[in-house]
Amino acid sequence: MREGIFGLRNSAGSTRVSQPRLSRGRRIAATCFGLVATSALAADIPTASAPAPHGPLAPAQLLDQYCSRCHNDERLSGNLTLSILKPDDPANGHNLEEWEKILRMLRRGEMPPHNRPQPTPEARSGFTDWLAASLDAHARAHPDPGRATLRRLNRSEYANSVRDLLALDVDVSSELPADDSGYGFDNIADVLTVSPTLLDRYLSVAHKLSQLAVGLGSGKPYVTTWMVPKDGSIKNQGIPSWDERASDDLPLDSRGGASFSYYASQDGVYEISGWLNANTNNEVDRLPENRVSLRVRLPAGPHHVGMTFRRLLELDESAQTLRNDTNIVPLPLEAPAKLPLEFIVDGGIVGETAVPSYYMSPRFSQTNWPRDVLQINVEGPFDAKGPGDTPSRRRIFICRPRNAAAEEPCARRILSTLARRAWRHPVTDADIAPLLGVYSAARDGTNFDQGIETALEALLVSPDFLFLREQNRPGSLPGSVHPLSDLELAARLSLFLWSSLPDDELLDLAAKGRLHDTAALEKQVDRMLADGRAGALTDNFAGQWLYLRNLDHQRPDVFLFPEFNTRLRAAMKQETELFFASVVRENRSVLDFIDADYTYLNEPLAQHYGIEGVKGPAFRRVSLDPATGRGGLLGEASILTVTSYATQTSVVKRGKWILENLFAAAPPPPPPNVPALKSSLNGKPLDGREQLELHRADPACASCHLKIDPLGFALEGYDAIGARRSQENGHPIDVTAVLPDGTRFDGLAGLRGILLARKEQFTEAFTQRLLTYALGRGLEAPDMPAVRAIARSAVHDDYRIRTIILGIVRSDPFTLRRTPET
Amino acid sequence: MNIPRKLLDRRTVLRGVGTAMALPLLEAMLPSARAADIAARPKRLQTLYSPNGMIMPSWRPTQPGRDFVFSPTLQPFAPFRERITIISGLASNQAVGPAGHGRSCPSFLTGVRPRPTEGSDLQCGVSVDQVVAQHHAEDTQLASMELGIDPPSLLGSCDINYSCTYTNTLSWSNATTALPVTVNPRVVFEQLFGDDDTLDESARLAQLKRRMSVLDYVREDANRLSGRLGTNDRHKVDQYLESVRDIERRVHKASQQDPGAYAAGLTRPAGIPEDFDEHVHLMIDLQVLAMQADLTRVGTFMIGRELSNRTYAQIGVPEAHHMLSHHDNDPQKMAKLALINRHHMEHFAYYVERMSHTPDGAGSLLDTTMVLIGCAFGDSNTHDNLDLPIVVAGGGLPGGQFIVVPKLTPMSNLHLTLLHRLGISQDRFGESSGVMGALAA
Repeated sequence: MREGIFGLRNSAGSTRVSQPRLSRGRRIAATCFGLVATSALAADIPTASAPAPHGPLAPAQLLDQYCSRCHNDERLSGNLTLSILKPDDPANGHNLEEWEKILRMLRRGEMPPHNRPQPTPEARSGFTDWLAASLDAHARAHPDPGRATLRRLNRSEYANSVRDLLALDVDVSSELPADDSGYGFDNIADVLTVSPTLLDRYLSVAHKLSQLAVGLGSGKPYVTTWMVPKDGSIKNQGIPSWDERASDDLPLDSRGGASFSYYASQDGVYEISGWLNANTNNEVDRLPENRVSLRVRLPAGPHHVGMTFRRLLELDESAQTLRNDTNIVPLPLEAPAKLPLEFIVDGGIVGETAVPSYYMSPRFSQTNWPRDVLQINVEGPFDAKGPGDTPSRRRIFICRPRNAAAEEPCARRILSTLARRAWRHPVTDADIAPLLGVYSAARDGTNFDQGIETALEALLVSPDFLFLREQNRPGSLPGSVHPLSDLELAARLSLFLWSSLPDDELLDLAAKGRLHDTAALEKQVDRMLADGRAGALTDNFAGQWLYLRNLDHQRPDVFLFPEFNTRLRAAMKQETELFFASVVRENRSVLDFIDADYTYLNEPLAQHYGIEGVKGPAFRRVSLDPATGRGGLLGEASILTVTSYATQTSVVKRGKWILENLFAAAPPPPPPNVPALKSSLNGKPLDGREQLELHRADPACASCHLKIDPLGFALEGYDAIGARRSQENGHPIDVTAVLPDGTRFDGLAGLRGILLARKEQFTEAFTQRLLTYALGRGLEAPDMPAVRAIARSAVHDDYRIRTIILGIVRSDPFTLRRTPET
Repeated sequence: MNIPRKLLDRRTVLRGVGTAMALPLLEAMLPSARAADIAARPKRLQTLYSPNGMIMPSWRPTQPGRDFVFSPTLQPFAPFRERITIISGLASNQAVGPAGHGRSCPSFLTGVRPRPTEGSDLQCGVSVDQVVAQHHAEDTQLASMELGIDPPSLLGSCDINYSCTYTNTLSWSNATTALPVTVNPRVVFEQLFGDDDTLDESARLAQLKRRMSVLDYVREDANRLSGRLGTNDRHKVDQYLESVRDIERRVHKASQQDPGAYAAGLTRPAGIPEDFDEHVHLMIDLQVLAMQADLTRVGTFMIGRELSNRTYAQIGVPEAHHMLSHHDNDPQKMAKLALINRHHMEHFAYYVERMSHTPDGAGSLLDTTMVLIGCAFGDSNTHDNLDLPIVVAGGGLPGGQFIVVPKLTPMSNLHLTLLHRLGISQDRFGESSGVMGALAA
């Protein structure tokens, strides 16, 4: 890491380091408006192509007049002194970090501070335009793609790669430890280390997957359990069952139950069993009397298995009791009715049974909920008949040896084909030889399939699969820059857009060296974004950029927010995912993230938002009227919830989230010993706004909070789970806010206006986040010209998201590589 | 130890010489005096950790010495009075400073000041549990187990300027390698007992042999890869190679033991229980089991991550943990935080109870296990690193007392004392200035 070359700290009594100011002659020359490259200045700028300053003030003059009073060796404000900076630095690539920071601060209007003399708009823009152009010119002449260490697949990338390699869709991400994050994402090369625990899990997962894919395994039955997601575990609050269709994999006229993905390891008989709720005072009791089961014959391979009730229009299925007192439980008036319970496999009804609409026991205790399924087990295989014909076996066994002599050549073919895909490059016999050795050793004393299975295990933990290999050009000097090979580019591209391996089409194109052609690359990007695998961009990029993954861990207080249940949580997440995916799929403007006239809703979420006319659990696109108070990310319950606490909203969390994720302008950390918010003053309780006002009275706190808080105040009209509210604790909510520069606005609408007024800044910030994700490393000063160039191209194309994606894919940081120093 | 054992080299074992398995060492085979000595020496170290600090007045017992009265927070340990020592006043000097959580957590078992960074240049120090693990690495299948409850790194929820890695774990095998915690009980079960459908011995050995061949292959592949890389990248591949070696050693060990006997009657857990208390119990049960089967002798358990905002409605505390910990002296919030502290101690007392009831030789597992219980800082509101709430139990330590140490006595002195008692006689650890006389053997 380059040491920040800041000015010398001035201790008392030491001499001040002085830097020669521009000589009087130069200053006069510089102030003549329009006299651009004067001979005096030209002498300082060696590169003929460096942009010349323009605007009413020369760069050095602007800095001297408006900045040097604080940013000097004595005061060292913001840890920056200008004494070490020279106007020709950007052209020469010196002090890039400082100059980029200066550019950022001036463009955003954060510097000079509002209570200090300001340059005129022309002087400011003249300076910043010159500075940006200089930095960009230097980057063009000296491309610097940055450097990250060897990049390991994170667990999502691993799972997807195995799925695509073996045509095996089994969820293994829960079997691997979660990856550490850096810069807001869990695919950061420097942070993805390897430990014995991790490797052990990889080995274990590789073993399981290889067994399933090849179709080995003892054939002995084992149990797989699926818990139906339910509310009602804490003090029995919450609604445990709903009179609506529970999954897209269940019939249209069904209600309740669940469906899940099950992989049958062999052709055989499987027992599907389920427990119904017991109608006791502990809703989650699993009593043998409430167990139902069915045996079915299933072929090996992937299936959807579920149980559900057939919806009966006439019959009221709930137990008829009226619960008006916790001490008295009235018993049902009538005997239980018979409810038809169906077993559903792969969309078809494979069996049916009748269950009582309630279960009577000495512990009976039940309010008016329809009967439902708590847990589904699948046990098997029984009477196993072998590995059968599965998509993964077809993918692996592209040949079958007819005799002993044919085995080795067939193994070679199989392993070469798999290795080419897994290692993301064509393979030679020499490359394959060690892997064939593993096959032979395992084959010895067993059979062909076992040999292949062990070799596959080795493949799935090999460094060439786990790590992304990017090689130095032979004879290249340390520190020199070269383009990535087509194969290396294909590997990066498929990690970016699919979080997975390149498919055969991409690999073939790259192996033929045709990927660098701009038109071909663009065509591939379009193809990849249209492919279902691009869902990874939503899952992984949006999931982390928008903190959606935190939603699963959020626990709003059940008494304050009883309406926040499993169903609503899932709906919130899905709204944001569908919205993001639609922006990518339709190549919409990224400004839609700030303000859009549509979203995706289902009935629970629409009710939560107070929007009428949306019926049923399925999601559909809905046009939004401005009166709904929704539209864009900040009106979405998911984001409003993850930026709140369990019992109340947080102005600071929301403000910080906006600054960090929409503007790449995270506030600095709080100083040590920051006191907590005072919840009352002189005995009088304070509301949220008053608490913060008091907190900010201290100038040390105010400097940051004046930037953070207004953004959060504007969203106070949405509670801790994103519902609209007009009062808190009996007081009307105040959603007015003031920015440090005095601009006033109120509510989400006002906030949107503020954000849209900074749309170039937002576009750059979005580009930064996406570029970080695409590169798998944090961005540094030399990357900023690429960010600017990409954002500019988007601005000129209606801010479209694909322009940004393409810009990233064609940028220097993405397509070039620097040979390491040692 | 002079008992003759057939020491087989790895290749021989893997060629399936099944009849020549090494027998577990039986105390009955040794002369009784030596047996008593060996049986008495502690050989295990367990750390039990609670995040976000404590309400210290509710934690601290009354007077020092043997006549102390249990505080509300420590009340769950009352049945084990004679087995525990409560220590007040230990300090983590290296953790003092801003970002209380980000600094204190990595410092707790290392006694080192971590480098503030969010990137790849992490720098901490080896943790005391890993010193023990590395020392006894040859003796058990798993060098150590790192267990937790909260999944690592929720986005945006780690201390500013300190990478999430610092608060994800307590254990560091060296200054730059943090060991991730496992939170899924099923995964722990599989780590201990394997993941095959079968516990059949010959099939198990065949599988181990195949795994060895896979490890041979990847090791050679990694060596080939490493030769072509720059220094930074080679470091990453080195991590990979070290992991391979660790697993090879473990597989070798596994081929000499049959832990399946202990798993009889156990069902593999389905996954992570929804209920916090159930999850904690399960993890503690698995930890005890691992020690009982001698699959490992070193464990750490984090009942929550630093900055945890978990709510505890089941004990009448629906507010978020971390928020309560910054109570600003509001008595209601303090009372609630103290309830959470006590709830955590209840779980840790459950561990002590299980260990004291699980036999080990002539005594119990608790007799030969040093248990270290505490938080990385004391007063939660100010992140006070200079007065940590610590309890040590078991391992033959003198119990039944409440000790107040001189101010600024480093926590590392306790670490060093524990190391000495475990037979590791190094001069220093972390920021130690000596050993603790009150606990020395």
